[in-house]
Amino acid sequence: MMQAFFDSAFAPLLPLIVVATGGLGLMLTEVFAQRREGGPSSDLALGGFVVLMAGAVAALALWLVGPETLAGAEVAAPYLIVDKFTLFFQLVLCLGGALSSLMAGGYLPEHHLDRGEFYPLLIFSTVGAMVLASAGDLLSLFIGLETMSLGVYAMVGFRRGSLRSTEGAVKYFLLGSFAAALLLYGGALIYGATGKTDLEGIGAAVRAAAAAASSGAPEASNPFNWAMLLIAMVLVLAGLAFKVSAVPFHMWTPDAYEGAPTPTTTFMAVAVKSAAFAMMLRVLLQAFGDPASMSWGSGWPPIVALMAVLTMTVANLIAGQQESVKRMLAYSSIAHAGYVLVAVVALMKEESEAQAAIMYYLLAYTVSTAGAFGALILCGSRGKEAVSYEDLAGIGKRHPAAALAFSLFLLSLAGVPPTAGFFGKLYLIKAGISAGLYVLSVVLLLNSVIAAYYYLRVMVSMYMREPAPGAPIAVPMRSGYVAAALVIAAVLVVFLGVWPTQSLELAIDAALARH
Amino acid sequence: MNALAGIIGAWPAVAAAVVAGLLPREAHPRHRFGFAAVAFFLVMSVIWLWPEPVVAGEVSEEWPYLLDLLIGLPLGGAVAALFLPRQLMGVMRGFTYLVFGLTFLASLFLLAVPMTPGWHFEHITPWIESAGIRWHVAVDGISLWLVVLTTFTTPIAAFASFGSIKTRVKELCIAFLLLEAAMIGAFVALDMFLFYVFWELMLPPMFILIGVWGGADKIKAAIKFFVFTMTGSVLMLGAIVYMVLTHHDLTGVWSFDFVDLAQVILPGILPLPGQSAAWSAQVACFWAFSLAFFIKVPMFPVHTWLPDAHVQAPTGGSVVLAAVMLKLGTYAYMRFSMTFFPGMAASYAPTLAGVAIMGGILYGALCAWKQGDVKRLVAYSSVAHLGFVMLGLFGATQGGMEGAILQMVNHGIATGALFMLVGVIYDRRHTRELSEFGGLAKVMPVYATLFVIVTMASIGVPGTNGFVGEFMIIAGTYFSDHLNVFSGLQAAGAAFGVILAAVYMLSAVQKMFFGPLTNPKNKRLTDISPREALALSPLVIFIFVIGLFPNLLLDPMRPAVSTFYKQFNRGFEQMKTSQREGAAQLMPATVFDPSFLAGAPRREAEVEQERQAAADADAAGVETP
Repeated sequence: MMQAFFDSAFAPLLPLIVVATGGLGLMLTEVFAQRREGGPSSDLALGGFVVLMAGAVAALALWLVGPETLAGAEVAAPYLIVDKFTLFFQLVLCLGGALSSLMAGGYLPEHHLDRGEFYPLLIFSTVGAMVLASAGDLLSLFIGLETMSLGVYAMVGFRRGSLRSTEGAVKYFLLGSFAAALLLYGGALIYGATGKTDLEGIGAAVRAAAAAASSGAPEASNPFNWAMLLIAMVLVLAGLAFKVSAVPFHMWTPDAYEGAPTPTTTFMAVAVKSAAFAMMLRVLLQAFGDPASMSWGSGWPPIVALMAVLTMTVANLIAGQQESVKRMLAYSSIAHAGYVLVAVVALMKEESEAQAAIMYYLLAYTVSTAGAFGALILCGSRGKEAVSYEDLAGIGKRHPAAALAFSLFLLSLAGVPPTAGFFGKLYLIKAGISAGLYVLSVVLLLNSVIAAYYYLRVMVSMYMREPAPGAPIAVPMRSGYVAAALVIAAVLVVFLGVWPTQSLELAIDAALARH
Repeated sequence: MNALAGIIGAWPAVAAAVVAGLLPREAHPRHRFGFAAVAFFLVMSVIWLWPEPVVAGEVSEEWPYLLDLLIGLPLGGAVAALFLPRQLMGVMRGFTYLVFGLTFLASLFLLAVPMTPGWHFEHITPWIESAGIRWHVAVDGISLWLVVLTTFTTPIAAFASFGSIKTRVKELCIAFLLLEAAMIGAFVALDMFLFYVFWELMLPPMFILIGVWGGADKIKAAIKFFVFTMTGSVLMLGAIVYMVLTHHDLTGVWSFDFVDLAQVILPGILPLPGQSAAWSAQVACFWAFSLAFFIKVPMFPVHTWLPDAHVQAPTGGSVVLAAVMLKLGTYAYMRFSMTFFPGMAASYAPTLAGVAIMGGILYGALCAWKQGDVKRLVAYSSVAHLGFVMLGLFGATQGGMEGAILQMVNHGIATGALFMLVGVIYDRRHTRELSEFGGLAKVMPVYATLFVIVTMASIGVPGTNGFVGEFMIIAGTYFSDHLNVFSGLQAAGAAFGVILAAVYMLSAVQKMFFGPLTNPKNKRLTDISPREALALSPLVIFIFVIGLFPNLLLDPMRPAVSTFYKQFNRGFEQMKTSQREGAAQLMPATVFDPSFLAGAPRREAEVEQERQAAADADAAGVETP
């Protein structure tokens, strides 16, 4: 029975199927449930958490069985590639989505936003993100991207009465569509140049053309259109940069992050970003993984390197100027994307090491960022939200547990040992230095000092300042869901920081197994 | 013989009884007990310090988990304190004292072993095997004293803090416990990763100490402290990673271990006179490491965080900062920069020594002279004193380095005591301005006496501990081979610094305690309380113990320093000859003392053995069901 299942064509898609059917089930539950008391969140938050964790367990199960032994893996290829790389990302995405769902369970009722459609939207977005992580073809990649994004657009505008929320949603929607269009246009040009839509085929075609060009064949007999491919590459890079919110394509991020309900922000910072990096890794390594495209002189590394430096520096400098903690966290998430871009540049020399570093970093970043946003949720209640630094003044006294958790996640984001964030950063730097990117690595290190400054400001407000008399202060909310999410994230932050061996090995295995 | 041993064994109790009996009749029983306990511990530690005739052939047992215990007790205590109710302040304080007392007692066992060259109490366990990161802790004659200094001064600082801080005691206890664990860890860690973890772990508790209980401008000072220190340490992290990667390229083994990395020669040409100094990996890594340590020391011109941090920190925070935390910079420069880069350290020595004298000793002293705030004055005097310590390390003669280590301990004791004394007057007047005081000796005679004694130690008057260390450092500077033609001039400059120290300290004492008692606010000040005297007494006694019997400290450190000295010079010679090619290579094993490398082969064998045992256990586990 089990064997028959693992031989079938469905087995490799198990995580996707589990999460998607779970999402449908939740949608039906929302419609038909007879509720005695409490809003829809009282059932659906836990349901969403369970569904997404089931997806994570399914991914883990496939990992243990070994995706390369599955007979059905070839059926969906190249549209959906199921390998350890995919499964690792699906695990991270499900974890991020599950934490967001728990937080929503506390946040939505508290802020009178308790409408059931949030959870199906969250889950279907996660499905899109999971498809994105496994897409091996430009078509399925685009479908995954849009599935993910549409849900998130709706979730950003979820607070319908709020101007900020609507503004954020419109900005995100317009710019996101524009980015998708760029990506699509780039894909079309790639198809025009190579005649292929699957990433592997594109890579092979580019390699063959490069080999023909270097063998000295006359220009006329080599009709490959390099100019078109170059433009396509730049367009695709720009589309990818929008999704990971790298400078200068970051303008939408602070507004969308600030306007959205905080669980949505968490989901965007965590899952959307990870999925976008998964997409970036696949596209860059498979379609543009030939030596010429990966070289410093004639490929994407200089563009990505420039973006990395700009992203880290600009985001950190602006983050230090923010007065809103949520906005600061938005800029900090941009800065973290910049750190990861350093390792993306390092792919050109140390492919598997840099990939493992990126994947481990995204895992560490997921738990730390989710925790930080969760702590921010926990610090505020309706009408008394924690928005600015002043709102947080004295939280260390009023709610020591929330303040302690917030500090832990901030220290992890700042990269102070022994936390997950420190290990992630160590591996990014190791990848950078072993690829010979000394300048980029030093820029990364110095940027983490700037970042430490604004993370510390939060701790300063919480522990060292007293609220001014009469000033609005944040009143911590009570929610078992948010507290549970924080406990899970905190345990993971400490565990990944002190015993990173297993998770590192997972990341390395995943990096080596990418098809 | 047995009777004699019995009497010596009874000495602590006798001393405790005598002290308790001698206290005036009206003394509170709690203070009577406290003084008796201090006498007990002091006599006991002096007995343990006293050199015993080593019986030939007798190998003393070293319990390998002692250092783990020393780190684990306060760390576990901090975690346990999280779960204690914050309303029970007395329980919190009692618990903290208990943990500190146990840690101090445990650290005395470090002294029971003759300090032969090489590592003692070494304990190695694999931690993150895929990256070659291990839990590797050990002490030698150099770090031994700094560990004991930590376990000795941190409780005193905590005790002093509990006297004046009554708010958020729970956070205070946790911060102190965590701080002690991190500082001990940083002194004993021999794995670069582990060292970095402890080095960074020190920052959050000290940040909290300054920022929560500090003065008016506490937040700026706390952030400045954190950001300065972190700037240095992230660059060091980059250098560590670079060295690990180079070591891996050369040997194929992943290792963060100090002993392994010490055998790597990074590419680069020494900036010796007559050679064009080029930017190279070795130069970059040397400066990355050293900058991190110079900021911590702090050396001119990266010392600017220190006066702010000291002035704003509460008394207990200042004591720990001055007594222990700054020593991490000097210790780490000696242990890591000088071992990894003997060539660089020796070639830059004349320049760095010049900076230490001009920027540290002389400029620091002049700044101290001009301060109106007593605490700021003491902070700048720290810059000057640590300039001496660094000078001893730059000169790198055996005597100079012994003096430098001794001076680290001395500065911890004397400056710690000074900060506590400043805290005493601040608690009474809530100001530290020199111009507010004058003639205090009339109303506070005991306080004035203690202040003058500690001032003498800080200046380095013969008979106090400061004299021995400074004399050894100046003599070492004069005889140093590494300072080239400047050694005489630099020794003279350092000696002039001693005079300046007398000028600024004595003028402060004169302004505070002597002259007419003009300010009416000072007329009704109470003299030092028994509690404050209790906190100060161990420090004051050790000023004289070390001043009169410096060999108690110097003898155990001598073998280690002598090994270090020879190894440093051999390393320098090796660097001079092998740097021509400019490629990364391994240092020949002959450079190192066998005792330095002693850990390495055993370590591999241990790991192998453990793997074997694990494999056996697995095999057995498969067979049984």
